Amino acid sequence: MTIEHAPAAAATSATGSIYDLGYQPYDGPRLGRREAVTALFAHSLRASFGVGRGGRAKIIPIGLAGLALLPALVAVGLQALLGRAGVAGQANVTSPIRYDTYYGYVQTLVMLFVAAQAPELLGRDQRYHVLSLYFSRALRRADYALVKGAALVTAILIVVLAPQALLFTGLSLSDRDVPAAIARNAAFLPPVIAQALAIALLLGTIGLAIAAHTPRRAWASAVIIGAFIVPPVVAQIVLQVVPGDLGRVIVLLSPNDLLAGLNAFFFDRAPDARAVARADLPGPLYLATATVAVALLLAVLVRRYQRLAT
Amino acid sequence: MTTVPADSPRLVAAEPGAPLIRLERLTMRYGTVTALDELTLELQPGIIGLVGANGAGKTTLLKILVGLLEPTAGRATAIGFDVRAQGTELRQYVGYMPEHDVLPPDLSATELVAHLARISGLPAAAARERTAEVLRHVGLYEERYRQIGGYSTGMKQRVKLAQALVHDPRLLLLDEPTNGLDPAGRDEMLELVRRTGTEFGMAVVVASHLLGEIERVCDFLVAIDAGRLLSAAPLGTYTERTGVLAVEVDAGRDALAGALAARGLSTRVDGREVLVAIEDEASRVAPYDLVRDTVAELDLPLVRIEQRRRALAELFRDTATQPGAASSPVTSVPGAAPPPTSAGPGR
Repeated sequence: MTIEHAPAAAATSATGSIYDLGYQPYDGPRLGRREAVTALFAHSLRASFGVGRGGRAKIIPIGLAGLALLPALVAVGLQALLGRAGVAGQANVTSPIRYDTYYGYVQTLVMLFVAAQAPELLGRDQRYHVLSLYFSRALRRADYALVKGAALVTAILIVVLAPQALLFTGLSLSDRDVPAAIARNAAFLPPVIAQALAIALLLGTIGLAIAAHTPRRAWASAVIIGAFIVPPVVAQIVLQVVPGDLGRVIVLLSPNDLLAGLNAFFFDRAPDARAVARADLPGPLYLATATVAVALLLAVLVRRYQRLAT
Repeated sequence: MTTVPADSPRLVAAEPGAPLIRLERLTMRYGTVTALDELTLELQPGIIGLVGANGAGKTTLLKILVGLLEPTAGRATAIGFDVRAQGTELRQYVGYMPEHDVLPPDLSATELVAHLARISGLPAAAARERTAEVLRHVGLYEERYRQIGGYSTGMKQRVKLAQALVHDPRLLLLDEPTNGLDPAGRDEMLELVRRTGTEFGMAVVVASHLLGEIERVCDFLVAIDAGRLLSAAPLGTYTERTGVLAVEVDAGRDALAGALAARGLSTRVDGREVLVAIEDEASRVAPYDLVRDTVAELDLPLVRIEQRRRALAELFRDTATQPGAASSPVTSVPGAAPPPTSAGPGR
């Protein structure tokens, strides 16, 4: 019976003919968990933008990311026009579209991106029972959860930072004195990056902690949107009804108000959101709350995957 | 059946000399249901059949071995790695084919298998190369670039096998690999499993509730029932010749039995057959000649003379008739001892 399938022997003969080599052993490197984590991250980040899926999967994420660039394009175009009119360099001061106000224009887009893509990243693997193929490999359950989190956070960072990068490049290069413009704009980089990280971490972990609990995409998206839009409304009402510190602290439970507070703290400006302005809480309190929230949400996410039956 | 040399270095990845699988009082409970009940067992490399009725604990055992389930108590090692403490390292060398549908419909077989190869730790280039090879090995050609959603059940089973093989595991765990296949598909899948185990020196555990299938591919058999070990022995032990000669005659059975008994053989009439114990007598007399001559003398219409073999199915028939008789689980044909437990497919 061994003779019947002896293709390996045939293959070693130096005839140069093509044989069915049959099954080949693998003696190359095995990189283990490190490779597994790298591969899952790349795969998930691509999936966040629908890359490697069908064309329809790209419409929502790429469309939302593209829309988020529009205010930056407007701002850059405005400065270019003003530049020709001889008032260049004033744009960042006069334009309503600035580094510190940018998130206000695109927060709905970013929220929709999270609501659409967090279930995409987690729900499919639960829906099609792919997790038993992952967890029977060189990957731990916590790795899976955290890598998915890292991928979505990175994707949100791209969506949030791409317009800011466009703004930076456009404002710097359209100025008559480019080096001075770069220096002036670079001063905004630390708060821009800090705020982008805060947005990505908070919204990303909220989205994933919710999406991890259901294989059903529509459900997850609806609950995520609810988690973003209901708390600010509640906070606004409570703020008006409940006097004193309790009413003020309620804004901390609303992700968007929390981010507005952080934005004001990082850029050292008065907050735009009315509820946040009214609450008038110290900046570090927003930072501490956001940090605790992200840590708790990650714990929820990891715990879910450690308990999920496969 | 063709076997692999036991000294093949590919068989065991961790400590040499370690058994393929070692279970020590392995217990798994789901609430009040006990799926595995202090299972203790040691297995050597080979193609191992894991049989039992649905719910016997086969899937639970495989899932514990690949780390999908944490056992309630007890210890399990595979290829020298502790399943719990060294699970991540172990799983680089284990391939697992789950029973149910686990394939995302919107990826192609190539994309999925290459991705999973990297999750098993293979570098990207090697993952692509091995994916092409392994999909060809399981018989998927042009269709491997199409989305899995459009595949037949047979093709899906092949993709499931391919993803379990792509990282060239040392131990392959297959849970009901012929599930949902038509007879031709079953034959092809069983042939693939047999080839994978025999030609490439891969240790394989095949779980199935179908004895007939296990019989065709395995060289060692582990039978479990309600989470307990029924038996573990080389396949041959179950079907070996017994010390019983069955003589079928159309008439005169009692006369024949009497005549043979008069000549010193112990006999018994069983249905259409006269059963003759030949084990002890072989040294003294030639039982075949004696039977032939006796039949001729009595002028009986002889149909056949046959040495009895055990039937694999007796393993389970017995547990049905003797509930709770776990001590001697395998049916004894008169004059034969039950097969030993806990022996390797030693060769």
